[in-house]
Amino acid sequence: MTAVRPHTSRRLPSVMAGAGRAGDPVAVTQLAETDLEAVTAELARHPGGRLADLFAADTDPVILRAVWALDLDQRYLIIETPVSGSRYPALSEIAPAAFAEECEIYEQFGIRPAGDKPLNRVATPPQADIELPRLGRAPAEPPADVHAPHVVGGHAFEFPFGPVRQVAVESLYYGLVTSGEELVDLYLFTWHKHRGVEWRAQGQTPQQALFHIERAEGLSAIGNGWAFAAAAEAALHIEPGAAAMSGRAAALELERLYNHAAAIAALCQACGLAVGRAAAEIALERFLRLNAVVFGHRYLFNVLAIGGIRTAPDLAALRAGLPAAYGELRRAADALLATNSFLDRLEATGIVTTEEAGRLGLVGLVARAAGVAADTRADHPSGPYSGLRPAVATQAAGDALARLRVMLAEAAESVRLLETLIGTGALGHGAGQPEESGTPRPGPAGRSGLGWAESPRGESLAWVQLDQSGRISRARLRPAAVRNWRGFDDACRSQNVFTDVPIIEASFWLTVAGTAR
Amino acid sequence: MSTTTAGGGPVTTEAEAAAAEQLRSAVARQFGRSLHIRTLDTGSCAACEQEIRMLAAPHYDLHRLGLFFTPAPRHADLLLVTGPMLRAFAAAARKTYEAMPGPKLVVATGACALGGVYQPDAFSYGSADQVLPVDVWIPGCPPSPLALLHGLLVAVGRLADKVSGLSFVAGASS
Repeated sequence: MTAVRPHTSRRLPSVMAGAGRAGDPVAVTQLAETDLEAVTAELARHPGGRLADLFAADTDPVILRAVWALDLDQRYLIIETPVSGSRYPALSEIAPAAFAEECEIYEQFGIRPAGDKPLNRVATPPQADIELPRLGRAPAEPPADVHAPHVVGGHAFEFPFGPVRQVAVESLYYGLVTSGEELVDLYLFTWHKHRGVEWRAQGQTPQQALFHIERAEGLSAIGNGWAFAAAAEAALHIEPGAAAMSGRAAALELERLYNHAAAIAALCQACGLAVGRAAAEIALERFLRLNAVVFGHRYLFNVLAIGGIRTAPDLAALRAGLPAAYGELRRAADALLATNSFLDRLEATGIVTTEEAGRLGLVGLVARAAGVAADTRADHPSGPYSGLRPAVATQAAGDALARLRVMLAEAAESVRLLETLIGTGALGHGAGQPEESGTPRPGPAGRSGLGWAESPRGESLAWVQLDQSGRISRARLRPAAVRNWRGFDDACRSQNVFTDVPIIEASFWLTVAGTAR
Repeated sequence: MSTTTAGGGPVTTEAEAAAAEQLRSAVARQFGRSLHIRTLDTGSCAACEQEIRMLAAPHYDLHRLGLFFTPAPRHADLLLVTGPMLRAFAAAARKTYEAMPGPKLVVATGACALGGVYQPDAFSYGSADQVLPVDVWIPGCPPSPLALLHGLLVAVGRLADKVSGLSFVAGASS
């Protein structure tokens, strides 16, 4: 099932009046604290409206920024609200997706939503002897290690698992609440992987900061890197050339292909299907080698630059290698789709409903497999995507099988997009002239920009603010993993047992690094 | 071949040295057929983990070399450490290392663990050797599966050295 979204004209929310010019992909508006709740409620009701991110910047006063994606209107709306006191209206009461960000803002800036809802620990470790630097002021009280009440017939208990867990996966601490086999509840703690990527970017030029942004989540180096580069370019008023943007799109689709192949291999591993895993890994290795010959790196590091790309794709290698690599993936997929014992294992496992996907602000293939046809390549096209018109693959069931089907449809679409990019000559013959000098570009202080890209896991968002000298005063990076881990809890709770958890984790294909960046 | 202590007395006799050498080759043979690896992510970006998983893929197939992954540190001979050793994770890293039986090896894997990505600061120690005794370093960001295999094969030799340095004579000091 695929859907190409028509560009509809509808009445814009009242707050949009006077916010930027019509047709601009990003509108910015200022709003007083007193109006924040009413406007949030209106935007939450607006068709295609979702609270994509919430973060704070500056310290005196702290300015709260809510990024709304108005997908049907093809616009992002940034609402800036100065918060004078230590409290602001609780947005998560209206848009539940905001809760994790409210916790994060409390830890980093010391301001909290109104009410007495406990705010969870996100990035600060509980060890008393570790004091991490913050982006703003310290909170009055330390964040809580909140565990929801979890007693089922008086027999449920919490089974701690991690952070050192299975082999060759990232560290992650699970609190599994169970009455024996069925999962009653699940908590995830990730503070042990928080590397302070946003803090590190402060004082650097955007080009310098790109090094750590790419390594915030290595499996989304292009998705996150493009979002960050686009944000910096918007702040600096730079427009990369068409060939460079097509080069980015080629890298992004290659990133999607290898990630989906890796997810399918992981799904087979989680199901104990060694032959399927080997078949998917043959395809995965082919894609990684294709990345290496086309862009010079198996994981596409160091491809992007602020203002363009650093490495021009090797078109001949791409043209020659793509069909064989995709052929291996198709071969594995055809065999898997004919293996009933495998499909039965995925069916009805880890269900995310359409309602949950909307409420929790889920993105990417997890949302699309739950019937939400959101894809920034179609909804907020940049670079070549407005011409390519990517088809958005969706499924209705919301289970692991639906996510597998979405991955396969997206892989086919990525190959089509790459072939179109090769065929139309959009990739040109070189990388153009990227703006890769590390020298800062002076300008008015407070210049800022928003950037986005559809990473393999879904919408990556970045926001960059520059000071007078052209160095970063605040960088915000919101990889898709930040959003989708929230749906993971709910998916695991939906009538699943312990052995379903690895399958659900593989089908979400998230990284801990992406959320604990 | 004989080894002497700082005081001049022999630690191993000729016969013992020959036995140790026999053991060394036996261990090389033995571990060559079942060296067990536990991985440890101390703050990586997930790319090193992906490359480590590729070791088991058909293109590389580390099992044919007698190397295996184990989820239990108590069964592990070798700790494959990725990431810049975040301070918040150091306690878990130490506990994992301490849970392993000796003789054991630590292999720092990837640019982060080697100190090439993060400076020592409030978040991280900056490299694995600040917390764990590293025996072998594997560079790369991330190291390719072939680089990992090469590093592991170097590590097997180092483990054999470690074992041959042990004294198996009751009452002897080393």
